[in-house]
Formats: sequence, structure tokens, C-alpha cells
Amino acid sequence: MLDQLVHAQFAAILPPAALLTSAEDTRPYECDGLTLYRERPAAVLLPENEAQVIAILEACFEARIPVVARGAGTSLSGGALPDPRGVVLSLAKFRRILAIDPLTRTATVQPGVRNLAISEAAAIHGLYYAPDPSSQIACSIGGNVAENAGGVHCLKYGLTVHNVRRVRGVLITGEVVEFGGEAQDSAGYDLLALITGSEGLLAVITEVTVKLCPTPELAQVALAAFADVEHAGAAVGAIIGAGIIPAGLEMMDQPATRAVEQFVHANYPLDAAAVLLVESDGTPEEVAAEMAEIKRLLAEAGATEIRVSKDEAQRLLLWSGRKAAFPAVGRISPDYYCIDGTIPRAALPRVLREIAAWSKEFGLTCANVFHAGDGNLHPLILFDANKPGESEKTIEFGDRILGLCIEVGGTITGEHGVGIEKLSSMCVQFTSAELERFHAIKHAFDAEGLLNPGKAVPTLARCGEFGKKHVHDGQVPHPDIPRY
Amino acid sequence: MNAPVELRARPSTADVAAIVGRLTKDFAERAVTSTAIREQHGHGEGMVDAALPDVVVFPHTNEEVAAIVRLCHAARIPVIAFGIGTSLEGHVAALYGGVCVDLSQMNRMLEVNTQDLDCRVQAGVTREQVNAELKGTGLFFPIDPGANATIGGMASTRASGTNAVRYGTMRENVLGLTVVTSDGRIVRTGGRARKSSAGYDLTRLFVGAEGTLGIITEIQLRLYGIPEAISAAVCQFPDLKSAVDTVIVAMQVGIPVARIELLDEVQMDVCIKYSKLEGFKPAPTLFFEFHGTDAGVKEQSEMMQSITAEHGGSAFEWATRPEDRGRLWKARHAAYYASKACHPGKQAFATDACVPISRLADCVLEAKADADATGLIAPIVGHVGDGNFHLTVLFDPNVPEERAKAEALASRVSMRAIAMGGTCTGEHGIGVHKLEALVVEHGEAVELMQAIKRALDPRNIMNPGKTVPP
Repeated sequence: MLDQLVHAQFAAILPPAALLTSAEDTRPYECDGLTLYRERPAAVLLPENEAQVIAILEACFEARIPVVARGAGTSLSGGALPDPRGVVLSLAKFRRILAIDPLTRTATVQPGVRNLAISEAAAIHGLYYAPDPSSQIACSIGGNVAENAGGVHCLKYGLTVHNVRRVRGVLITGEVVEFGGEAQDSAGYDLLALITGSEGLLAVITEVTVKLCPTPELAQVALAAFADVEHAGAAVGAIIGAGIIPAGLEMMDQPATRAVEQFVHANYPLDAAAVLLVESDGTPEEVAAEMAEIKRLLAEAGATEIRVSKDEAQRLLLWSGRKAAFPAVGRISPDYYCIDGTIPRAALPRVLREIAAWSKEFGLTCANVFHAGDGNLHPLILFDANKPGESEKTIEFGDRILGLCIEVGGTITGEHGVGIEKLSSMCVQFTSAELERFHAIKHAFDAEGLLNPGKAVPTLARCGEFGKKHVHDGQVPHPDIPRY
Repeated sequence: MNAPVELRARPSTADVAAIVGRLTKDFAERAVTSTAIREQHGHGEGMVDAALPDVVVFPHTNEEVAAIVRLCHAARIPVIAFGIGTSLEGHVAALYGGVCVDLSQMNRMLEVNTQDLDCRVQAGVTREQVNAELKGTGLFFPIDPGANATIGGMASTRASGTNAVRYGTMRENVLGLTVVTSDGRIVRTGGRARKSSAGYDLTRLFVGAEGTLGIITEIQLRLYGIPEAISAAVCQFPDLKSAVDTVIVAMQVGIPVARIELLDEVQMDVCIKYSKLEGFKPAPTLFFEFHGTDAGVKEQSEMMQSITAEHGGSAFEWATRPEDRGRLWKARHAAYYASKACHPGKQAFATDACVPISRLADCVLEAKADADATGLIAPIVGHVGDGNFHLTVLFDPNVPEERAKAEALASRVSMRAIAMGGTCTGEHGIGVHKLEALVVEHGEAVELMQAIKRALDPRNIMNPGKTVPP
């Protein structure tokens, strides 16, 4: 319930239709793409300009009300999960493309603009926005910046952080701040990198300038089938080790190809234990030369079948299976749990081997689809939450995978963010010296902790509690934290 | 949140004596107080006025760096990280005395992972050393500022170089760090995974922080496969505008050129003399380098030739043999030294404007006209493909009016770039010289930078007086 005084303040800032408080109006906002967690916010606010955002944040700061910014609500880590004591600040009405500068190759857009809409608007200039999360039809650029989103083409073209020039945002105090600038570099501390991936904890984004890339003349994708997952993993290493950075380098294992084939009918080789998709883009000459080398390396690594797309329709069909992997798995299993661990590429064969062994041990199917070139895994554990004990087993399986990712030198999240979901794993990945730095930065931006509270960075107390249950290599993590 | 950062006075003589005594005991001959060594560590290459540290220490391990910082933290004594002293903005000057941590003896390549295209180095490894040690692996590290700087220094100043248009700057090429924090703890940021969205991006926060938030002691670098084909070419133009317009069109067409460097006639003149380049006129010039497959390089260079011809450029002078290419780029890297050597007795301010490509022509031509009007010698050189260029503004340090004129010109170049939506520093950093420009460029955001500085270095001991205004 919203304090009456605060309600009156919001009502003075926003028209009635932009201030939602009834249960039926706020229910659609109770979760994002991570549906395991749900909370009802006290109110949902839908401002349409920056002045309203400033006024809302000033009011919330004054009254010490938590604020959760929300884009399209496609987060897979609960980044937009509401706080029951606070408000959801939706940027859905910020959907204007403000400027496209074909010479500098940038687009300036409002945060609610969909990822794909930027590329569509830039297409007439022969340009596009490179990061392409699978949800790009729906997800918004503000959310992409907040989560430092990735995608299939990030191997060659970088993550969101590499493709954003400038971000305009509002601090919890209502101050407007610009991060970065229009040029290639910007003076002083790299606040732009700090705000990118900060999961709505530092500022509310109101404007974004992104880099655009020239649309390649030609793109071709090769599909390669392998008799086992380890050979496919080794092929990935061989391609990268040869100094080739393909435009995309993705892997799917057999449970994944079988799930998607029923859904998209892309004619994937279903008897193969693993399939690689390798994309090359550039001028026709470059693509021809690179594709020849890629085919040679795939064959050398033991590919049992190699197919190269003959035209754009074929290329899109081959990709459709990969892009639709999540919904496809959703069709064959009552529930699935997606993991986002990222590892050094060389550790790929070992990690895949262990996941396969654990899959047998837990009796849970695990479909692997992932950005193999980046080492970004997306194991999808298939389970049925209605079967007693299966959710718990799934979470234990997932924790084991994440623990292994950290052990081999990787990270618990490559592109989905920590959100609410991976808070405890943060305690394993980071030492208390690092977590203290995170808290110090948060404090510098938002000393009261009002922006997206309880997300992304665990409190040291939580890590202390978590450490009681999880002992790694005979060592309790964070031995320097007092136990409660 | 906006209380000013504690202004630092020099530590007391007794405190200095105590820490020097302790460091001499712990580090023996690796803690040096001789005037010659302190003088050498009191300035970089661009700094006109030196400020000497009280002692210079040469640690060998992360733990030794952490131990030094813990001592300084306890005694509230400034601590300044030093690589090889090639920075241009006074980054290493010990404005308040204190302890200089010279990382040049931490110069080991720790690992090379050819399959993952990365390597881990200690902060004192130089960029040339990285590439020398990668010999035979088929890999290379592309970032190449003019000087043979250390990787730690390059990370700390977010350096760039002639390859940035294709390979990015240190921002894009540092995957992770080991950092000693202001309270003397050792923290590892980032890692070997190619991407991570866990926690705030501490890696990029420390990259470019100029030693004001912590000391970088190890760096995980991204590496690249040496291209199958490389060729370099030189093209000369009747005037500066034609050369700059060529660059803008090339970028607009999207030719994936690896290097595209502009030298104006003044710069070309000193480079011809200093580096004994034969067959060139002192005229506005572009150096190109193309990377890719044989077919790709041929295609790129043909496209580029058609653009240069349209702008009145000369026929390409090719350098395909590695030794010819080496001579060419060596001349380019030595541009700053050439400018100084051809005018003995002069000192230099190097400007570092970087603007959106759409404003490049305006920015370069206005800077040129401005420099000509002052009567000062100010050669122009730049990695114009990414909008970044430098004036080496020469002046006689013994003539105060000349120095003032030079300083004013350098400041106008910065301000013009900021007004055009660009930055006062594309790669050299802020140091002490660009604090005012930083405030003009970032406004409100400077307060956040100050808040971060206070949060991560509450005692203001890490390279005090640099990067963020007090």
C-alpha cells in the first residue's frame, strides 16, 4: 500500500492512466522472464518524459521508497522483480528513436525502444545494431544496457558495453547525469562501463546512444554435426585458435536439437550428438576465404557432416532453431531452468563432460545450447516442479554447474545478470574485498539503497549465512566475515 | 555526497622518515632515495615541471606491492604507481611527495593461452616485450601508443594507438586485472571468461583510473591472430582538408582499415628528417595499413585508392615487406620524439582531442588555423580513423609568454573538441593537466567520479591530485 501523501504526489506528476495501484493493474508487473519469483509492487508508474522521471525519483528519495526500473520485462535473472514496499518505474512509454547519425554511425534512442527496432530504423543507411539477445524482438535497449546483454553476434562485435557510446540517466536524488560521450573515448573514470550491467542499481536510464555497424554484404552460416560433444568443443577451440573470430559460433547438443527440430523444422541432423553453427560475414571474397578455412578446420576436428547456407532464407532457417531454443524446450518440458555460466574456451570439453555425468546422476535431462565461441553456456535443465523434490534437485544441479564454472576460471553469468537469482553464487565468485568495493560504489551513487534493492550484489551478511552451508575445497568462503 | 575530497598536504618529515626507514629495512637496495632516481621518477615525458617522490621502491610481487600500500595506508602517505615514465599528462609527478612504486621489475609474462586468445602479464611488461614473447604463436597484441610503454601504464591511462580503429583501445582489450586496493588488499577483477555480467565492471573502472583507485599489478590481455596478409601504403595530399575528407569518406563507406594515420606537412617534415624517410614531400599525408586475407586486403586497398584519387591524393607508395612496414610505423611512432628533436631546447604540450567522425574535419582544420595564428610550431598527427588527433605544441620553457601561449592553444583544442561532442583526451588521460577540461566535459558526472574516488580511496593516498579535481 502506498502512503496517501506519496500517492497524491505521484498523482500530481502523472495522469491517472499512468499510475497503477489496483491489484488487477499491477499483477502483470509481478515478475519478469524469471517467473519463479513474484512480488506485487505498491504501484506501477508509467512516465512518458524525463521531467516526470526526475519528479518521481525526487518524491521516492524524499519518502525513502524503493524504485525498480523496468523495460520490457524479459530479464532472465529477476532484475525487474518488484519490491513490495516500492514502485515499479516502467520505461515502456520511452519508445522514440531520437536521432540516427549515419556518418558517426550512432543512434540515439529512448530506453524503451526495442533492440531490433534500432536495426530496423538504421537499415536504410546500411547500418545495424550488433548485440542481438535472443529476445531482441521484445527486449528494450534500456534493459540491454542495465544487464550488459549479449547475443549470438557478440563474439565478433562485442557485448552491450562495447556498443554503447553514451547513456543519460537520473540518479535517485533526481540529478541528471550523462555517462560517456559521442566520441570513441571519454575522459575520466569509465562511468559508462560502470552503469552498463549495473542492473538498475545506480541510475534510471532515460536515453542511450549506441554504435551502429555497417551491415555486412554477405553472411553465411555453416552447420557441422559431431558424433560427440567433446569433438564439437575441440572444433570451437581449433577455429578460435586459428585466429578466426566468426560472426557467430554456437553449439547445441542432441537434447537441444531434438527439442527445436519439432518446433522449427530446420532439418537439423538429429542423430548427431552435437551441432555447431558457425557464421562468417563480410565481403563475398572474405566470406569465401574464411568459410573455406572454417570448413577445413571443422572437417579436421571430426565433423560428420557440414552444410553451408546457400542463401539468406537458408541462413535464417538454420539460425531459427538456435534462436528459438528456449521456447522449444518450454514445449517439451513442464519447467526448465536456464544457466548462464561462462568459462574460458579451453575448459569447454571438461565442463561438458561433467555436466553430462551429473545429468545422469540427477536423472534430469539437460539440453545444452550456448555461445560456444564466448564460452558462454546456457544449460537448460528440464524438470517438473510438480514432482516432489525435482525443483530442489534442479537447483543443486545448477549450483554445481556454476561452481564448476568458477573453478575453471569463469563467471556465474555471461549475459543475463545476477538479479535475484544468482545472489548466493556471487558469494562464491567474489571475495569480501571485491564485494566491499561493489558496496562502496553503490553507496557513492545511492547511499540509501533505494534503486532496485536486494539485487545483483549480496550483502556480506548474506554471504556469511550462505558460507555456513557451502564449504568449498575444505575452506569456508569469506572467513573474515563475522558469522551470525 | 558532495563534500570535497580531503585536500592533501605533504606528509610530515617524521612520517616520511619513518616510512623510508621501514621500506629500506624491508626492501634493502630495492628502496632508493638517491636524488637522481627520485628525479627520474618525478616526471613523465610530457611533464614540464617535476615533483619528486621521497622514495622509490621496486617490488617484485603482488604481495610486496600490497605490503607497501598497507604501510602508506596506515601512515596516510601518498603512493604513486610508475611504469616506465612515458605518460604525457604528469601522471607520475609526486605532487605531495610520498612513495613511488616502480613496477618495471614486475616484467614477466605469466601465461599465454593460445586457444583462448589471451595472456596474463605483470604490470611492468612493455608492449614490445609482449609481442616479442608472442613470437611463434601466430598471435599479437595490437595496442601501440607511440612510446614503448608498460602494459600497467597503458591500462591505467586507457591508452590507445594506431590500431584502435580496428582493434579498439585498452578498454576493449583488457579482460581482467589484479589490483592492489587503497587499503592494501589484492583483488582480482574480470577473468578469463570472455564476458561476464556479474557485479559492477571493476575492470573498466580501474582501466583509465590513472592509479587513483588502486595499483594495477597484473593484466589479462586479449590477443589476436596475426592476419594472413598485411600491407601498408602512404598517400600524400595537396592540402590538409583533402586528407581529412578522405578519412571521413573511408569511415563512412566502412572500409575495415586497420590503421589510418594523418600527418600534416609540419609533422611530415620533421618525420622525414628524424626518421630518414625517403621519397616523400613535406605535405599532408595519410599512412594506411590493411589486414585480412589476401583477397580482403586487395579489395580494401583498391576501394581506398579510389577514394584517395577522388580527393587529389598521390599514387600509393606501397610497403609490403615487413621491414619496410616496420620503418614506416617506426617513423610514425617516433613522431613526438621527432618533433622535439628537430627543435632542440623546446618542450611540448601534446593535445589529445577526439571527436565524432562527423566533426573531424572541422576540429582538425580549426585547430590548424588556430595553431598557425599563434605563430607556434605545432605539428599535427593522429589516428584519425577513430576521430583522435594530436598537436605537439612546441615552446621555449625559458620564455614565459611562449609557454602561456602554448598552454592556451592546447586548452582551446580541448575545449573545441568538447564543444563538438568529443573529449579532451582520447588516449593520454587526465593526469594533472586536464582537470579543468574534465569538469567542462562531464559536468555533474564529475561529482560521481569524486564520490567513487572517496568510496575506493577514502584516505586519498592513491596518486593524489590526479584524474579527478579535488
